Amino acid sequence: MPLTAYLIVSAVIFTIGVIGVLIRRNPLIIFMSIELMLNAVNLSFVALSHFLDSVDGQMFVFLVLTVAAAEVVVGLALIVSIFRTRHNIDVDEMNVLRG
Amino acid sequence: MTFEIVSFVVLAVATVATAIGVIAFKNAIHSALSLILTLLFLALFYLQLQAMFIAVVQILIYAGAIMVLFLFVVTMLASDQDELALRNQIPWQRMVGGLLGLILVAALSYLLFTGAQVTGTTASHAESLKQAITTYQGDTQAFGMALFHGFLFPFEVTSLLIVVAILGALVFGRRTN
Repeated sequence: MPLTAYLIVSAVIFTIGVIGVLIRRNPLIIFMSIELMLNAVNLSFVALSHFLDSVDGQMFVFLVLTVAAAEVVVGLALIVSIFRTRHNIDVDEMNVLRG
Repeated sequence: MTFEIVSFVVLAVATVATAIGVIAFKNAIHSALSLILTLLFLALFYLQLQAMFIAVVQILIYAGAIMVLFLFVVTMLASDQDELALRNQIPWQRMVGGLLGLILVAALSYLLFTGAQVTGTTASHAESLKQAITTYQGDTQAFGMALFHGFLFPFEVTSLLIVVAILGALVFGRRTN
């Protein structure tokens, strides 16, 4: 398959992630959409790594994976913390900065 | 060649369908399970692109560890939040979101078809991937050689990032009273 096919699939998955962030109001699903976007970029990295015949793209996937893990840990801790104080995790109702 | 095309199309359709499932399911648990399927299909994509190590890491870390964490929090918080998406919705939110998504995918595809000029430069000081795989007798060895020679500094910075994430989780998870 040509490189463009993989990049198109990657673009479509990225867009699905963007739409998820735009239309959903449950922060857990917004997080999952962000994971979708990260994975779409990972797919394009691996495809480019394969077609450029270089291992560098896979390095970046490895680093993105680590950043995603750190992001999920902090984000889910934030959501649990918000749920603990407000007993509600609707993003539209998170409009107060103080806890 | 035909098998390659068929497997690519099947994988692409399955990946996109499960990705749509992530944002379409009402129940957050179903979304999480759909995301796990998406990650598994992406791992199959990586296998197809001969990135064995990344595929295995994807299954172990992403579909395993990260999604377990997700499901843990989803089952802890979202069991009574199923109706969340229906209540108080901004009326044109979905339409505008879908429209913006269409614009984005059109722009990305346009760029890919017209402007994508890919030239290869390597930062890892390694030889080309296929050469490295034959030299080090495997994908994982080539990966490790590149990681610890050209990408040593980013790899070490990663450990700092993980320490910061652990501290953040500790601070947010602490009970204040």
